[in-house]
Amino acid sequence: MAMTTIMGALELGLILALMSVGMFISFRILNIPDLTVDGSFTLGSAFAATFAVQGQSGTGVLLAVVAGALAGAVTGLLQTKLKIQPILSGILTMTALYSVNLWVMGNKPNLSFFGKDTLFTPFERFLPELAAKIVPILLLLAIVTILIRLFLGTQLGLSLRATGDNEDMVRASSINSDAMKILGLSLSNAIVSLAGAVMAQYQVYADISGGIGMMVIGLASIIVGQALLGQKGGVTRGFVAAITGAVVYRFILTFALQSGMASNDLKILSAALVVIAISIPEVKKFIQKRRARRHA
Amino acid sequence: MLELQNVNITFYKNTVNERRALQNVSLRLEQGDFATVIGSNGAGKSTLMNAISGFYDIDSGRILLDGEDISYQKEYKRARKIGRLFQDPLKGTAPNMTIEENLGLAYTRGARRGITSGIKKRDHGFFVEKLKTLDLGLEDRLKTPVKLLSGGQRQALTLLMATIVTPRLLLLDEHTAALDPKTAGKVLAITEEIVSKNHITTMMITHNIQDALTYGNKTIVMSGGRIVLELSGQERKTMTMERLLELYSSTANDTFSDKMIL
Ligand SMILES: Nc1ncnc2c1ncn2[C@@H]1O[C@H](COP(=O)(O)OP(=O)(O)OP(=O)(O)O)[C@@H](O)[C@H]1O
Ligand SMILES: [Mg+2]
Repeated sequence: MAMTTIMGALELGLILALMSVGMFISFRILNIPDLTVDGSFTLGSAFAATFAVQGQSGTGVLLAVVAGALAGAVTGLLQTKLKIQPILSGILTMTALYSVNLWVMGNKPNLSFFGKDTLFTPFERFLPELAAKIVPILLLLAIVTILIRLFLGTQLGLSLRATGDNEDMVRASSINSDAMKILGLSLSNAIVSLAGAVMAQYQVYADISGGIGMMVIGLASIIVGQALLGQKGGVTRGFVAAITGAVVYRFILTFALQSGMASNDLKILSAALVVIAISIPEVKKFIQKRRARRHA
Repeated sequence: MLELQNVNITFYKNTVNERRALQNVSLRLEQGDFATVIGSNGAGKSTLMNAISGFYDIDSGRILLDGEDISYQKEYKRARKIGRLFQDPLKGTAPNMTIEENLGLAYTRGARRGITSGIKKRDHGFFVEKLKTLDLGLEDRLKTPVKLLSGGQRQALTLLMATIVTPRLLLLDEHTAALDPKTAGKVLAITEEIVSKNHITTMMITHNIQDALTYGNKTIVMSGGRIVLELSGQERKTMTMERLLELYSSTANDTFSDKMIL
């Protein structure tokens, strides 16, 4: 593989890693399958692109974060206040977001802002070309992950974690579990939306269907990472696994594309990866059992 | 002080399965009272506790805690004042969080939880002290995820969590029933110690008649959703296990409640 291909895979992988860190909060810490993701990822791209066209990339990214948090809060409210099933709540928000995203993009299915300043422009001035993208992406990923990890060690963070771990206990400990779920889903989708914004900035382009399949990709990253690094370990290890998984996932895709796979087939590859990664523990168990039986 | 006035709860109202789980239950516990609650299966003991803790909404009546009307307060708000233990040791702790994190969470009960550290340095020593009183060696395992503890250890930890900020009321629903006799005895002894040391108003459901008479200063017998007998003072002291067992077993059929009313 050429150096630029490798760097490209790494850059994309790290942007997806940012999204996976966000999804880790809903999927792993709160234990809620949140399908808002496909919509909130595009939401971030939409804000970033719309403002970048006017040369205001910074504002666009900030608004992306706020909008993502609001989208997560909506899903949380549907779940907790209206008692709608978690999966359905996410699907409803995601569906509604399709319209919202089109509004944001001025009813255009895609927006290009080639030639405008992006978040990467300042870095391009003083960094060599090869580093100009990866450095800011890595920095952002590191800052977000560290901040989230620190937050999860606070009183509020512990309450959030306990909500996903044992809701009975949480209510008996005077924690408002509804509020925790709303908070967690907001946080999660704010980061997913941020990842969408960074993706748009990276590609200098946003597409209304850019977020489709992102939920599965994030899930693949979390699960592949866990399969690689092992099930055990605390929250920190979970984040490291999600990041590793995202990068590995992206490299697998790049490799598949390089070896001639049509880009249309990528989605089925993503789905297959999730299935394989999830089934690894079961397959291991099966093999162990057979071995035990043979020796018996 | 806990006061219940004519509390009613009916499940599946207006259906063939209608079940009057609590019928005009009135009760008064003074500050520091330790009441044991007995009664056959389905008598309404757990429902009574769930009504007090806010897990179930009551249909009518009033519940007062230290004079404050909590009848319609949300469960998590009541939990600021009420500590609770269930029969299932798995219910009281967060399995994937460490002992220390669980205690840190319990220690902020009733306080506003903000973005200061969940486990402060100065609390660490306090947690170790508290864990030592359990005498289960948990003080050396602060960083252990709770899921690795035995049922008895978890229940003892839950007890500590429920009382680390002294609650105004402690509700124990057969909290030793899932433990082996030796561990159950130990957890009961710890319960007794914590409750008496902090003068916590306590209700403890048990199916062990001996325990019901040994522990606490009051015994409440329930049947068919009613409180059919309240024992305290001299009457309770002279009550024998055999005599209470007789009453207790006869609560299985409803003739007991009729007898008591007559
Ligand atoms: N959530 C519920 N929905 C419907 N009925 C319920 C519910 N909870 C309790 N009941 C019914 O209310 C009655 C009282 O139940 P409760 O659990 O309070 O009994 P208990 O005295 O705690 O019994 P046990 O000793 O078996 O724990 C029972 O008839 C039970 O079937
Ligand atoms: Mg019960």
